[in-house]
Amino acid sequence: MLQAHSILWHYLWIAPNILCLVLAVAVGRSSFRRQYPLFFSYLIFSALEGICLYALDVSPKISAITWWRVFWGGTIVDGLLKFAVVAELLHHLLHSWPAVARLGRNLVSGVGALLVLLAAVAAAFAAPDNTHWLVGGAHVLSQTLYLTVAGLILSIFMLAASFRIPWERSAFGIALGAGVVWCEHLAVWALVAGGVVRNRGWEDIANMGAFHLCVLIWFYYLLVPKKVAANAPTPLPENNLDVWNRELERLVHPRALQP
Amino acid sequence: MTLAVILVIAAALALLFILGVTFSRSLQVSGGTALATQIQPIDVEAFRNLVNPAEDDYLRRRLPASEFRRVRQKRLRATAAYVRTAGRNAAILIRMGQTALTASDPATAEAARRLVDNALLLRRNAAFALLRIYLALAWPNSGLAAATVLHGYERLNGSAMLLGRLQNPSTPVRISAAL
Repeated sequence: MLQAHSILWHYLWIAPNILCLVLAVAVGRSSFRRQYPLFFSYLIFSALEGICLYALDVSPKISAITWWRVFWGGTIVDGLLKFAVVAELLHHLLHSWPAVARLGRNLVSGVGALLVLLAAVAAAFAAPDNTHWLVGGAHVLSQTLYLTVAGLILSIFMLAASFRIPWERSAFGIALGAGVVWCEHLAVWALVAGGVVRNRGWEDIANMGAFHLCVLIWFYYLLVPKKVAANAPTPLPENNLDVWNRELERLVHPRALQP
Repeated sequence: MTLAVILVIAAALALLFILGVTFSRSLQVSGGTALATQIQPIDVEAFRNLVNPAEDDYLRRRLPASEFRRVRQKRLRATAAYVRTAGRNAAILIRMGQTALTASDPATAEAARRLVDNALLLRRNAAFALLRIYLALAWPNSGLAAATVLHGYERLNGSAMLLGRLQNPSTPVRISAAL
C-alpha cells in the first residue's frame, strides 16, 4: 500500500496536482488572481510540474537520470516561486499596518539570512550517498530549500502571533497550507538527506499526502466564504465611563487637573 | 543522523506552533462584550511617575547608592508590569478593532484600522520598552526610555474612543471605557 506504484501512490501524486489546477481556475476568475499573482503562478507551476514528473516517471522511455534532471530544474524554479510566495504573504500581512511593517520586514529578512547560513551548514553535514550525484544532490537541495522556506513561514507566523497582527483569511489559509506541507517536507527530506531513510517508499507517500492536505486547506480558505459573526453592542457599567473620561482628561491636559 | 533528528524535531515543533495558532484563531470570540471586560485599567499617573527621569534623578540624589539600586529595581519591575498590561490591553483592542474592520460604514472601518495600527505600535513599543527595562535591571545605572509606551498609550486611547463613538453614537465611549 505504501510502496511506489501502488494505487494510493498514483492517486496521491496526480490528485493534488489536478486539484491545484481546479483551484487555479476557480480563483482565477475573481480578484484573487490580481491580489496574489505570485501564489497564483506558484499554484499553476507546481501543478504542472507535478503532472509532468508523474508522466515522466510512469513513461518507460524516460531514463532515471532524465527524470532527476527535470526534478532538479523543477525544484529550482519551484523554490524561487516559494520564496516569492513568502514575500507576497509578508506583504499582505504588513502592508495595512505601517506601525510594524518595517520592523516585521527587517525581522523576517534577518531570519531568512540566518536560515540560509543554517541550511548551508546542514547541507555540508548531509550524509554521503552512493547513488548518482543528481540523486544525492536533489535530496540535499530539497532539504536546503525546505529548511529555508519552512523557517521563513514559521517566522511570519511568530511575528503575527507576537504582535497580534490580524491576518486576511486568504493569506492565513495560504500560509497555513504552505506551513503544514513545508514543515512535513523538511522533516522527510532531512531524514532522506541524513541517510536515515532512503528508498523505503513511505517517504514519497508522506510528502504527497501532506501536499494533498495542503491543497484541501487552500480549497477551504480560498473558496469557502468566512462566517460573519453578528457584533453585539458592548454594554459596560456606566461608572467605567467616568473613570475613562477622568483618565482621558488627565492624559490630554495633565496640567489642567493639577491643583 | 544527529542533524537529521534535530531538523525533524524542529519541523515537528514548527508544525505544532502553526497548528496551535490556527486553533487559537478559530477559538477566538469575535464579540466585543467578552473582550471589553478583559481590558485592565491602568493608572497612567503612576506610570508617568515611574518613567519620569526627574524622579530617578531625585531618588539618586537623596538615597545612598545601595538603597537607590534597590528602590530603582523595584520601580523598574513595577514599570515592566505596567508595560505588560498595556501590551495585553493593546492585544485586546486589536481583536476588538479587527471585528470592526469590515464594517459597512467607511468611517467606522477607518477608525478600526487606525485603532489596530495604534495598538500594533503600542505592542511594538511595549516590546522595545520591556527589553530596555530588563537591560536597566541588569545595569541599574543606565537610562530608561519608556516614554514611547506612554505616548503610544495616549494615542491608543484616542483611537479606541473614536471607534466606540462611531460604532455606538448614543454611548460614545463604552468600548474603551475600561482602558
